[in-house]
Amino acid sequence: MNALRDDRASAAVTTVVLLPLLLTVLAAVLQLGALRVAAARVRAAADLATLVAVNDQDDAELSRTGSLRLAGDASDVAREYFERELELSEALLAVSSSEIAARADIAAYPSAPSVDARTGARYQRPAVRLAADVPVRTPIFGALAFQPVTTIGVLAVSSPR
Amino acid sequence: MKAVGEERGLATLEMTLMIAILVPLLFSILEFGAALERWLAQDAATVQAARYAGEIGGDGAEVRGLLAEQLRASGIDPGVATIEIAPARVGWREPVRVSVSTEYRLAIPFLFTTTLPIRSSAISRGEVNR
Repeated sequence: MNALRDDRASAAVTTVVLLPLLLTVLAAVLQLGALRVAAARVRAAADLATLVAVNDQDDAELSRTGSLRLAGDASDVAREYFERELELSEALLAVSSSEIAARADIAAYPSAPSVDARTGARYQRPAVRLAADVPVRTPIFGALAFQPVTTIGVLAVSSPR
Repeated sequence: MKAVGEERGLATLEMTLMIAILVPLLFSILEFGAALERWLAQDAATVQAARYAGEIGGDGAEVRGLLAEQLRASGIDPGVATIEIAPARVGWREPVRVSVSTEYRLAIPFLFTTTLPIRSSAISRGEVNR
């Protein structure tokens, strides 16, 4: 009977003692989920920006030679739209969308074939490539003694069809 | 016999306490996970709709139809979604923005039930030379 008495309420005590740990794990899981949403948004922003940039063709070149050639301002357009897209998720970002877009490495390859100096990729069609590091807020990670800001690296390439 | 009876009562009490703590935790993980999954799906559908809106030059039954189909495929009732496509008509190189807003009912047993607003937006550029 002594042994039984010693075990009294042990499960409840264990649960209460483990509660902070369980809550910490829950918070970390939620933060990880939010980070996944932020990463998907950043990726979509980069994809849309490069798509918008390559959709604009040099009409004069197309009618003269029949071949696709990007408009002269393709990289500027990609940067502008990357900023616009990120602006929609400003609350998730650790720095302003304009700053992220300004720092993004965007290169336009107006005619093909071409070789990307950054990635070494060979493009068989005109292309716009966007590479950026996007810092997003992760306050729960910060509270758990990790980094309060997590940087998401994104790389997007689009070519016209 | 009395001592064993007391232990049984204590075990029931412990079980009740543990359920009161562990069930809300489990449901928090499930419910927030489902909400985040829905947020991702809604974001993806909004991006697709924005691209299509750019292609056809703004708002139209085709864009709304595509969006409704995508939302339905993700388990979201398009009937309760607030959809805004602005401006309704765009020309060559003009930006068009698609915004989708829905509400997710979050229910954590023993704790609370609330409604979580989920908003998604994406911008594309008009490709129609009017």
